[in-house]
Amino acid sequence: MNLVSKSPKPRRHRLLQALVGAVVAAPLGYLFGGYLVSLEEAGAAVSVDLSWSDVLAVALAAMMALTGLITLLMSLSRRALGRQINPEEVRPATPAQAVFYAQNGFVLFLAGVMMATPVMVPLVFAPLSPMIASAAMAGLIALLLIQTAGNIAIWVRSDEFMRRAMGESAAISFAILQGLLFLWAAGEKLGLLPQLTLWDAASIMMAAYLVIGLFITWRRGLAS
Amino acid sequence: MKNRLKVLRAERDWSQADLADRLEVSRQTINALETGKYDPSLPLAFKIARLFGQPIESIFQDEA
Repeated sequence: MNLVSKSPKPRRHRLLQALVGAVVAAPLGYLFGGYLVSLEEAGAAVSVDLSWSDVLAVALAAMMALTGLITLLMSLSRRALGRQINPEEVRPATPAQAVFYAQNGFVLFLAGVMMATPVMVPLVFAPLSPMIASAAMAGLIALLLIQTAGNIAIWVRSDEFMRRAMGESAAISFAILQGLLFLWAAGEKLGLLPQLTLWDAASIMMAAYLVIGLFITWRRGLAS
Repeated sequence: MKNRLKVLRAERDWSQADLADRLEVSRQTINALETGKYDPSLPLAFKIARLFGQPIESIFQDEA
């Protein structure tokens, strides 16, 4: 008999992963904060004026890029990946699984880069010239095309359960966000709510999608 | 919907990953099926029934 037992080992692994994540993320956050301060101190030409949506976007970008990078690196070792996806037994991941997780990591990493670019480029290249802005925009369009191709590949390689989870995340996100968008737009039109920029809306949309995606992942038991 | 997947798998001494390989789905899918967090599509239910050599209704039972 080989029934799956909930041994404490995977929990220890997850705790270890959380600790490693914290150890890696904390210095990165510190370095980024230090970088912003150094930019501000560099002179009057550089003005670090981040809105709440910029801060949210950079936080989301860092989280996605870091998670994507860890997933991508883990997919390079089939044994390490096997420990993650088959916690109840010692079994290396198959080549197809390694490719699938590498694609997931790559797409998530790209999403992080794309989310950070509109905030970081004006900071790094201040004052921002139209040429740099155009180059950044062209790069973003190229990344979006690559990421879309990656997302389609993930959808094709996924099984019906994974597709159901992705579909649910998208459907719930759409239902909630279109309702909120309508209410906010109506409030704005009536002069009751402050104006939002499209970047504010995009940052909120990404945050909501990630939260809803995590909720679906938990509810469907995808993380266990 | 209830199912006997965990019992049937255990009778054959298969791990979740073994069953996932045989059904060409992910291990997470097997885990979600066994814990009742996901009901399979008809094609997957038929595939499961064929694999265990039993009719669908003896593996999956409606809770209603």
